[in-house]
This record gives sequence, C-alpha cells and structure tokens, in this order.
Amino acid sequence: MEPLALTGNLRIAIAIIAGIGLGVLLEKSDLIWRKTTLDALRLKDGRLLTTFLFSIFVGVMLFQLLLQQGLVNIQVRPAAFWPSLIGGIICGIGLIICAKVPISAIASFAAGRIHALWVIIGMILAYSAVNAVSGFLSDTLYTWSKPIPYHEQAGDYFSFENPALWLSIISLVLVLFIQFTIGRGDND
Amino acid sequence: MKILSGKWSFYINGTLIALFIMLSLYLFDDTLGMSDGMLAVSEFVRDSTEAGEIKAPPTLNWQLGLLGGILIGALASAIISGSWKIQFAPKDSGGIVAGIWKPIVQGVGGGFLVMLGLQIAGDSFWGQWSAAIQLSSGAWIFIISMFIVASAASILLDRHHEKGKGGE
Repeated sequence: MEPLALTGNLRIAIAIIAGIGLGVLLEKSDLIWRKTTLDALRLKDGRLLTTFLFSIFVGVMLFQLLLQQGLVNIQVRPAAFWPSLIGGIICGIGLIICAKVPISAIASFAAGRIHALWVIIGMILAYSAVNAVSGFLSDTLYTWSKPIPYHEQAGDYFSFENPALWLSIISLVLVLFIQFTIGRGDND
Repeated sequence: MKILSGKWSFYINGTLIALFIMLSLYLFDDTLGMSDGMLAVSEFVRDSTEAGEIKAPPTLNWQLGLLGGILIGALASAIISGSWKIQFAPKDSGGIVAGIWKPIVQGVGGGFLVMLGLQIAGDSFWGQWSAAIQLSSGAWIFIISMFIVASAASILLDRHHEKGKGGE
C-alpha cells in the first residue's frame, strides 16, 4: 500500500474541502482567538495546550501505525539546530505581539476580526525580507550546524524502545496535568 | 444543533487535528500547509507593486485552495456558532487613538516576526506541527523554544502589568 498522492483538479478540490473542514475545526477549537492564545501562553487557559498535546498523543501512534502499513511517507523538511532554535525564538517573540500564526490569522480574519489583516500583511512582508537576506542567512546561520539526521523508527510498535510510545505517554500525562491544574478561560 | 453551534472538547479537536494531518499525508503525500500559497500571494503583491498595476492573479494550486477553504470554513463556523463579528481592533487595544495604531503596529510587527521565524526554521507552523508528530527533532526544538520564549515573556509582561495596576 502507498499514499494516494492526488494530482490535478481532484487535488485542488479535496484541498478546498479539507480547508473548509480545517477552518471549522480552528474556530471550534478556539485556536483562532487572540485571548485564548495569550491566556495559553500565560498558562491561564489550558485549551490550546491540551489540544496540541492530545493531537500529539493520537497523531504520533497513528502515524507509526500508518507508516508501518505503508499508507503514509515521512514528510519532514530538513532541519538544523541553530535555524530551528533561532526561528523558534523569533516566532515566539512575534507570537506574544500578535497572538497569531499564519493559519489562525486567516481563520481569525474570516471570523470578522479585521485586525488579523495586519498580521497577514506582516507575514507577506516577511517573505520578501527573507528573500532579500537569503544569501546572508545561507552564509551564516545555516552553516553553524549540520542538518539534524532524521531517525526512522524501527522495531515493535509497543516496544519501550519506541520513542513514539514514550512521546505519546508523556503527552497524555501532560494533558491530564494541564486539565487538572490550568483553568479554562473565555474567548474574544 | 449543539455540535454546530457549540465549542468542541480538546480531545475531539486534538483527535481531528491528528486525523487531518494523517489524511493530508495519505491524500496529498504532503503536509497541509499554506506556505506556498502565501508565497504566491506575496509574489503577486510584489510584482503588482513593482509594475504599478494589478498583475494576473496567481494560478490556483492546492495550497491556495486550502487557504480559500479555511476562509470559507472559519466564516461559516463563526456565523453558525454566533462568534462572527466585525472587530477592527482587539479588545485590549485601549482608547480610540491607540485602537487605530496599536493593531497596525502589533499586527504587522508580530506577523512579520512570526513568519520570519518560520522561514528561518524552514517550514510553516502547520508543517512544524505535522513534523513534530513525525518525531522530527528540528520541529520539537522549534516548538519548545517558541513556547518557552513566548510563555516566559507573556508571564513576565502580565506580572509587570498587574504590578502597575496595583501601584496605581
């Protein structure tokens, strides 16, 4: 068995349907609201964190199962330590300022929050800025560390040597911890 | 119907997000992401600005289709659940004057930094989420560093703000 890997117009049509489903899901999960995001970062509202961790809990084990069946391929872009770390820090600073990531900015704008348009404009500007300094980044940041090798998981599905099992268990424990310690706030 | 008008629990949302990511890996042999779609929009804006006229819009590809789908889905869901409302500035923007400039500065500045960070790390936010599920070390470095920085700074700013209120 192998991934379906749709092409042509069918791929576009399914992408539009998937986008509609994703838009509904983002709105229903409160991931698009500014207040939910900021409260999650202040550890005052656990909804965003529990949603993320529960998706890891389900996703990691499901991915391993589908990978073993050959239904999915590994789709991970090459990553290096310093670009990932510095990128994460810069993204984190941006997140406390605007409380949006690209996907939530689009959905938030659709939900009538016109101010999300400024976030989208900022993001579009960033593409041009990165293009302008891509040569500099290639000569500096991307030479500081080698790409992190991706280790394909092997061995038994429920083996304690399987990192996917450990990550799932840790995610579930964290979900329970957050659920019983951090409260639930209101959205915008 | 409460399932359409109400909010969903984290375990439903988390499960559905994981299923969406798996479904995209199966159907598209790729992760759901909008980076190429936003890049196409960015190039369209740049070309139009340079030419001083509106150029031909970017060709519809699957990522632009996804972007359009998200707009439709979030709009429909917000209307059905009653959370759709026109809001020009976030509630915490302050007075009328601050309500004009603050969303612009916060939005453009914050959005710029978020996308800059994602571009440096080499993937979209959804791509990082998907890569974390696939046990990519780079994605976990990105997500953990982003969360620690954003959370620590938010808590410190919040405490500073509360302290300021107490001193008044």
